[in-house]
Formats: sequence, structure tokens, C-alpha cells
Amino acid sequence: MAEQQSPPDPAAAFRELVSQWEKGINEFAGRAMNSDEFSRAMNKATTTSTTMQQQLGELIGRYLTTLNLPSRAEMINIGERLQTIETSLHRISTQLEKISGGAVNSPGAGPPRTKRPPSAEQKGVAS
Amino acid sequence: MTAASATATKPAAADPMGGRIQAAIERAIQRNIKGLEYIASSAPVMGATPKDLIHSRGTLNLYHYRPLAEEIYRVPLLLVMATTNKGYIFDLAPGQSLVEYLLQRGYDVYVMDWNAPRADEKHLSLETYVLDFIPDCVSRVQAESGEEDVTLVGYCMGGVLSVMYAALNADGPIKNLACFTTPIDYEHMTMFKRWSDRNYFEVDRLVDTLGNIPGELIFTSFEMLRPATRIAGQVQLWENIWNDDYVKSYRMFDRWSTDTLPLAGEYFRQTTKELMWENSLFTGKLTLNGKRVEMGNIKVPVFHAVAQHDHIVPYDAAKPLIASVGTDDKKEIVLKGGHVSVVAGPNAVKRLWPALDQWLGERSV
Repeated sequence: MAEQQSPPDPAAAFRELVSQWEKGINEFAGRAMNSDEFSRAMNKATTTSTTMQQQLGELIGRYLTTLNLPSRAEMINIGERLQTIETSLHRISTQLEKISGGAVNSPGAGPPRTKRPPSAEQKGVAS
Repeated sequence: MTAASATATKPAAADPMGGRIQAAIERAIQRNIKGLEYIASSAPVMGATPKDLIHSRGTLNLYHYRPLAEEIYRVPLLLVMATTNKGYIFDLAPGQSLVEYLLQRGYDVYVMDWNAPRADEKHLSLETYVLDFIPDCVSRVQAESGEEDVTLVGYCMGGVLSVMYAALNADGPIKNLACFTTPIDYEHMTMFKRWSDRNYFEVDRLVDTLGNIPGELIFTSFEMLRPATRIAGQVQLWENIWNDDYVKSYRMFDRWSTDTLPLAGEYFRQTTKELMWENSLFTGKLTLNGKRVEMGNIKVPVFHAVAQHDHIVPYDAAKPLIASVGTDDKKEIVLKGGHVSVVAGPNAVKRLWPALDQWLGERSV
């Protein structure tokens, strides 16, 4: 007797369709992008975009200076200086912990370093 | 799986077609409810395994995870994260965290993680990472643990940096070297090599203009390797949005992959010229501060886990590591999965982690 056919599953068909579409597009794009023409075009676009970005940044910088406002670069600079101060504070607090005998940084603190691999333990039991 | 998702998947035994229609309707309702929840909810918490920041210097953070076992192996592990992404891929969530797994298996775990390099760090170079950051962290791990030996575990570019360090420090203190999906032969990084063709790619102009290379540019280049995968992933998310576990996992990986870091300009220039153009790590011509990086100098035990379907580091690019190192105690395992799923996620839990534990355990006493 023939096996009873299971009813079609639209969700499974949809999953298969998406999977095939993904595979097809990725393969097609992979072939298209693996060429000299694409490489040349992509790098031209990147160079143009970064040059424009830089020129736009300089223009906006001049505009902000006119308005007496800080530029993004100046804000980043302040952020970096704050981060440097935070790092210094962290270093000082770590040193203080060490001086006061804090457990966190005591060499070798923590559980004993005596663990053996399971294979060695099994051998030990066998002998 | 939640009660809602369990209900949604329960078929009606008496009438398979009726049950399927009922499940489809319930899933459609759940999709709408969960879809709204998805938009409104905050991002999942990752990297939550308890740890202490023991050193921070600009782009570099060194964390020490608090032990979870009563007895630990003698040799501490220092994980070196890839420079393009954040280290929480090693510590996604309880039950899906490589770090948590290693801690529970009795290892003392340290992680070198990266912040976005600041504008004033554009001069960081391969030498800075290999001859300054790694040795600095190794000596801090030695001081913190009280142990002379340290095992290095590197992921992707973290593996490349670890290989370079191990090759230049053949006399120690590295006890073992474990790498995941580490590119060695850049001739086989086909797409990246094509895109960075020296005839068209003006790396000097790019670095001199931008300083550091923006994370968006790095992210886009990764995405371009499989341009349809993100859209297909979002369609699959919509289809599975009734399933809380699926949504949580999707969000974690999506957040991590989009959290791409900028690269220090000089480091990017060097990796492009030295690795991508000259392939000098593979050919043995790479020199850092006048010292030649020869993989044959690596005499410590080496473990390399590579992914069968890795679209970022193809197998042929990763394969030469084991062939090039100068030790007989070496092991390569080829695992099902891709560049990320080999390290994190359900596949990694079943495949890589136990294999790594078994290999490291015997060499960590």
C-alpha cells in the first residue's frame, strides 16, 4: 500500500524559497564582485566618498568656528582626555587596592591550581 | 520554549491539516504580539559573567573572569579577541558563554578585549599589538595568577596576532597555543584580496585621510561577502518571532556582528600591505621590529579549530597554520558551521567547546 502523502506545508515551502533566494543572490553577487571592474568601481567610490567626507567636515568645522561652537573633532578630543583621566584613576585605584592588600590582585589568589584532566583522574582511579 | 510558543507548535492529533492551520493562526497572532515586544524591548544583556578589569590602556582592556570551580588548572588561559569585534562573543549569555563553560570546567580565564581606537591611536601598528599589548597582558596574567606559563587562545585576527607573538617568543612563556579560524595564507582570502587589489585600492590615501578606518566600512565589507544573508535573516526572524529562544539568539548575534570596531589606521595599512598584498606571514617574510616572524619557531602544542562553511576565512586560508608550526603536538579540527557559529551558539556548545576542553585539559597541568 502506498504511503499516505502528508499535506503540503506552505511554511516549509516559504523557508525553502527564502533559502534558495539567499543562495542564488549570494552566488550571483559573489561572481559579480569577484572582478577587476567591481574592485575598481568600489575603490573609486570609497575614495570619492572619503574625500567628500573630509572636505565636508572641514567646511562644517569652519562654519562651527564662525558660530563659536565646538566641532566634532574637538568634542572627541575632550572625550579622549576624559578617558585618559578615567584610565589614570583606574590605575591609581588598582595600585591602592594592591597597597591595601585587596584580594582581587593578590598573585595566585583564588581556588587551588591542582585540577587534573579527567583522563588523568581516571588513570589514578584505575591504578 | 515558552508556553506561548509551545502552544503554537502543538498539532491537533486528530486532524493534521486542521492542527497545522490552527498552529499557523496562533503563530501569526504571536508574531504580531512578539513583534511589538521586539520593537519595544531593550537589547539583550551580554558579557555578564562576573569579571574584573585588571588593565586598560586606550583600545586595550584586559579582563580576569572570576573562577567558578573549586579547583582550577595550573595554567591560565589568555583569550585574544579579533581586533574587528568586541569580546562578548566569548560570553554571550548563561549557557551560551564559552568563558562560563571554561570557568565551570576549571580554567582560569583572562580576555584581551578591544575598545574602538581613539583618534590619537591611529599610529598603533602590528608591532604595538604583537610586541607590546600581548606581552604586556601576558606578564600581567603571570603576575595576577602567580604562574609562569600562560596558554594563548586567539580568534580570527586575534589568532593571527597570537601566532606572531608565539613565533617571536619561542622560549616562552607560552605553554599552548589555540586558534580559532585564523587566516594564514591570504592568497585564499579571495574576496578581500580582490577588493584590496593594490592596483585600485588606495590604502595610503584612505588611512591618511581618515586616520582610523571606521567600523561601518569594516562591517560593510563583511556584509558584502554575503549580501543577501542579512535580508534572509530578517525574513527568518519574522517567521520565528513567536519563538523567544530564536529571537534572543538572533538579537545577540545581530548586535555582536553590527558592533564592528574601527581599526587603527597604521594597523590597517600594515595588514593590507603585509598580509593581503605580500602574504608575508605565510611566506615567512614578515618582520616586526626587525625580527622575522617564522611559524616554524612555534614549538608549543598547537590547536586550530576551523569552520567548514566559513565565508570570511575560507578553509584554504586557515589550513597552513598546522602545516607551518614547528611542533609535533598539533591538532586541527574542521567543524560544521561558519566563522561565528563555530565559536558561539548551539553548534559551538556541542562541538568546539568540548573538543577545546579535552585538548586544553591535558596540557594545562
